[in-house]
Amino acid sequence: MFCKLALRNVRRSLRDYAVYFLTLTFGVCLFYVFNALDSQSAMEFLRAGRGSGTVEAIFRLVEVFSVFVAAVLAGLILYADRFLIRRRKRELGTYYLLGMPQGAVARLLVGETLLIGLAALASGIALGMLGSWALDRLTLSMFLAVPDSLAAFRLSLPAVGKTVLYFGGIFLLVMLLTGLSVSRSRLIDLIRGERKNEEQARRPLGESVFLFILGCTLLGTAYVLLLTRGLLRVDGIFFLMLALGTAGTFLLFRSLSGFLLRLTRGHAGYYRGLNMFVLRQWSGKVHTNCLSNTAVCLLLLLAIGVTACSAGLNDTISGAVGEDAPYDLTVLNYGRGAVYERADLAALFRGAGIDPDTAFDRMESVTVYYNDPAVTGVGEESAYAAVSLSDYNAEMAGRSLPEMEEGDLPAKTEYPLVNGPAAQGVIVVPNAMTAALEPRRQMVNINYRGDTARVDAAVREALERGGFGRGLDIQGNYRLDTYYDLMGNKLLTLYMGLYLGLTFLLTAAAVLALQQLSQASDNAVRYQLLSRLGAPEKMRRRALTAQVALAFLLPLVLGIVHAAVGMTAANAVIAQVGKVDSVRSSAVTALFLLVVYGGYFAATCLGAWRAVREAGGRESGSRPFR
Amino acid sequence: MKAILTVEQLTKTYGRGDSRTHALRGLDLSVLPGEFVGVMGPSGSGKTTLLNCISTIDAPSSGRVLVEGKELGTLRGKELARFRRERLGFIFQDCNLLDTLTGLENIALALTIGGVPAREVEPRARQAAALLGVEEALEQFPYQMSGGQQQRVAAARAMVTAPALILADEPTGALDSKSARLLLEQLSALNREREATILMVTHDAFAASWCRRILFLRDGELYRELCREGEDRRGFFREILSVVSELGGDGTDVL
Repeated sequence: MFCKLALRNVRRSLRDYAVYFLTLTFGVCLFYVFNALDSQSAMEFLRAGRGSGTVEAIFRLVEVFSVFVAAVLAGLILYADRFLIRRRKRELGTYYLLGMPQGAVARLLVGETLLIGLAALASGIALGMLGSWALDRLTLSMFLAVPDSLAAFRLSLPAVGKTVLYFGGIFLLVMLLTGLSVSRSRLIDLIRGERKNEEQARRPLGESVFLFILGCTLLGTAYVLLLTRGLLRVDGIFFLMLALGTAGTFLLFRSLSGFLLRLTRGHAGYYRGLNMFVLRQWSGKVHTNCLSNTAVCLLLLLAIGVTACSAGLNDTISGAVGEDAPYDLTVLNYGRGAVYERADLAALFRGAGIDPDTAFDRMESVTVYYNDPAVTGVGEESAYAAVSLSDYNAEMAGRSLPEMEEGDLPAKTEYPLVNGPAAQGVIVVPNAMTAALEPRRQMVNINYRGDTARVDAAVREALERGGFGRGLDIQGNYRLDTYYDLMGNKLLTLYMGLYLGLTFLLTAAAVLALQQLSQASDNAVRYQLLSRLGAPEKMRRRALTAQVALAFLLPLVLGIVHAAVGMTAANAVIAQVGKVDSVRSSAVTALFLLVVYGGYFAATCLGAWRAVREAGGRESGSRPFR
Repeated sequence: MKAILTVEQLTKTYGRGDSRTHALRGLDLSVLPGEFVGVMGPSGSGKTTLLNCISTIDAPSSGRVLVEGKELGTLRGKELARFRRERLGFIFQDCNLLDTLTGLENIALALTIGGVPAREVEPRARQAAALLGVEEALEQFPYQMSGGQQQRVAAARAMVTAPALILADEPTGALDSKSARLLLEQLSALNREREATILMVTHDAFAASWCRRILFLRDGELYRELCREGEDRRGFFREILSVVSELGGDGTDVL
């Protein structure tokens, strides 16, 4: 019978707390997707190839972050569970009144938690498999070239095991705490559970203003500290800055309700429609919820910051591939015994079984000379090598880049001439001057024809096979190598950003949604009264939406301000690595925010309205006079 | 004089088949402007059903309810909400005030919902509060007020829109005798001085003795009608008690 009761209760709460259940599912799904990364074909591809270092770094970071993410989600689940239990105090009291022993009630609740946990785990992992596959496809689509055999649907058993272990642990903890709190509760508290004093004493304006100004000052100090000291100096003052920021946020929330209420009260709009009602609803809750609002605001700051930073860094990295490796391959001929000797590479390739005419689009040889300051007039410290104007212009013409004029010489190369680090510190000199310079090495730039991955594999095989150069020291700088290195880094930042950012965003939105939905029963009574007073349905619905929107917007606005300041500091760090495209990263972040946060907002509005309507339906159930 | 409220052959049945319950069986009544009418009867007599039909919370099975000559059955959606907020005022036994709003704001709400210009709202709300003697509760939240103050604030809210008809459902039900007396005094003053039309449902003979006319219901039908002559509330109270004992006389229902 308990089983039946538990099952019925779960079915009902699934409907009532769809938001809670969905959050659990998404949490499990997120956890699975990122812990299943090592079974992804994209990762295997990277690991097998040249990006293995970053792949290992990704896995290590996922492991570390997963503990963190699990802790955040555990906090959320415990918080949600406490909310749900408190909402059901009356129901539990009724069980006791009907003579159900305490142990049985505790068992009932534990059974319910177990059922919900199992359902969330199963649906989360199922969704996670789909998500993992989609992420794999997305990752692969970012590669220039991959074998077609990849991108199959895979299941990662270790990830399933880990997810079950972590979330099993969390649910076990929740069940334990639930059982404990229920077996300790007293009947009278349960029966009176719904009757609570609405603590809404008026706070003097002076106090609100003082707290508001104090909060602003603390926040301002924290901002100034962050902007002047930068993001990366982690010491005592860094933590002081965090503490100041948190305290400032808390005080703002604490003082805002009294402050805003007084500001708007004299205003004519206060007495229009349900404005007064909405503002009061919101201000009462903003005061009691200021602690959780602070937490939500900080979570949002982390979510926005992490997502925007990773998106920004990601773009910086993508831009770097083209600059570091303008050609598919640069062959470096170091000569024979460190003495310069020009080689006929076309012949060498033919000898190795590769026909340059069919395999390559173009093949250009560039001779690099030692820079002799006595001849060129440019110091060795600023340029270590020189090329002739005709070689340089030929390369530039092939890439449709601006060529140089004889009159400007000698000058540093405007664009890299070859793949790899050798591209820096080269000067261009007039053709005639090269006669006076000592040749250093030969560099041959090659672009492949046809399937990049296939040609690259063949060329690599040929170059690395002994005897390709017939005694010459010949090496290759492959664009794909640079590319995979960068791809690895790119994925690392992107994945970690997504993982953490989504977790934070999800948690923040879920806390707000639960807060709003848990007020549904109180709200139902109020909205029913509004209906009796003749407020039309449209007006009531708009008021409810406005109430939820206010609850969602306030932490978001402050979170965005925090994030904007934080991003300014973070960009200073990223700018050392490369340029940040802040418009694009902001757009990506905004999109994420819109989808996740907006989704929760919409779900909350619908849920809250349904709760209000169902409660109202009891009175006007027969829908009279329609 | 033209009646403000007319109820014609009102019936209401719940359920169907064998389990059918007749809450009202062809009730006729009318209320003139400025009347203070009480509706009494044992539980199950149809008092609440009658009030629900008049207040448009429930729809009758047959018969008509007219307020100011307008048949309620013809009202739909927006018109209905408009009718409720402009022509009717409500006072309930409990759940009357919004716990998040102050007394003043609770009264003002009835006006702002109706779209009264913002600058008229506060003066009108204060005026209504003064009429019911609850100025001291204007800045308080409901949980800070006594039960009597809450009900008088609710009464102020019910009359602030100058409705055609104020409907009161057991307004003294949750009050101690002193608060109940104060509320009834204010209601009857409202009726006398403002000529507000009030229809009050109660099962308390003391509360009913403040009314000018009392309709007794039994089993969904009009059983008796009593009118008060002059200001003799004591005599009227005794008359009411005798009808009440008569009503409960046939045994099963002890009121």
